[in-house]
Amino acid sequence: VNEWTKRGPLEWQDYTYKEVRVTASEKDYKGWVLTTDPVSANIVLVNFLEDGSMSVTGIMGHAVQTVETVNEGDQGVREKLMHLFTSGDCQAHNLEDLEKRKNSLRKWLEKNHIPVTEQGDSPRTLCVAGVLTIDPPYGPENCSSSNEIILSRVQDLIQGHLAASP
Amino acid sequence: MPSPVPVLRLPRGPEGLSRGFAPDGRRAPLKPEVPETPESPVVHECQESQEQRARALLRERYLRSLLAMVGRQVSFTLHEGVHVTAHFGATDVEVANFYVLQLQTPIGVQAEALLRCSDIIAYTFKL
Repeated sequence: VNEWTKRGPLEWQDYTYKEVRVTASEKDYKGWVLTTDPVSANIVLVNFLEDGSMSVTGIMGHAVQTVETVNEGDQGVREKLMHLFTSGDCQAHNLEDLEKRKNSLRKWLEKNHIPVTEQGDSPRTLCVAGVLTIDPPYGPENCSSSNEIILSRVQDLIQGHLAASP
Repeated sequence: MPSPVPVLRLPRGPEGLSRGFAPDGRRAPLKPEVPETPESPVVHECQESQEQRARALLRERYLRSLLAMVGRQVSFTLHEGVHVTAHFGATDVEVANFYVLQLQTPIGVQAEALLRCSDIIAYTFKL
């Protein structure tokens, strides 16, 4: 347990999107902070390489000695980091397409005896058995639930549905 | 025409209203009881929920970064300047152990291995 691990989530969050220099076990790491894991205090840094690719480095919380801010923030970098790792489905679906997907999935779930309702504005969120929601574009990764059993079951069903009718 | 999938019934569901969470599974320590004055309850509440929201956001981003790492070649920096590469498999909830495949060590390739977080200083992968 070092000084870094003792800082709270609000302090860790403060570093997000900033460029920092981290010393860990006598080694230096520089990069843009993507996040700090509140459980392990691991810091995740992103570096943009000349060839357009990115490198992601995780520095273990227990090894962190110092963290120094080098750059308070850059709007362009912030944009890139915000969308990194978020839903891989970057295709833009038009409303009509989303409606079709939603209805198709809804029918499939109902056929499998799963109660489905809809909520929100168009494109609407599907709500399964009152404990799981499916946001557009209605892929397995768009499911949210605190019940792992139902989550796993519904994700498998969606996967099967997408495989059978792409 | 896809055929309906049979529903799998597990032997026992989550108990009562617990939704499967262990009652003593809280990881973040509870804030000590603060004697309430007319102003403090509101401020106290705000601080805690702000912290919790930050904690949830930070954790979600971290989990997603781990997910993105699955199956990729990762280079681990260990103590004494040792570097090893492997394909990332998974970590446990505390991020205490890293399950990796095809670990290339100075003495050969290990098909599967568990790296302890205390042995790791940093890990890096390319996107």
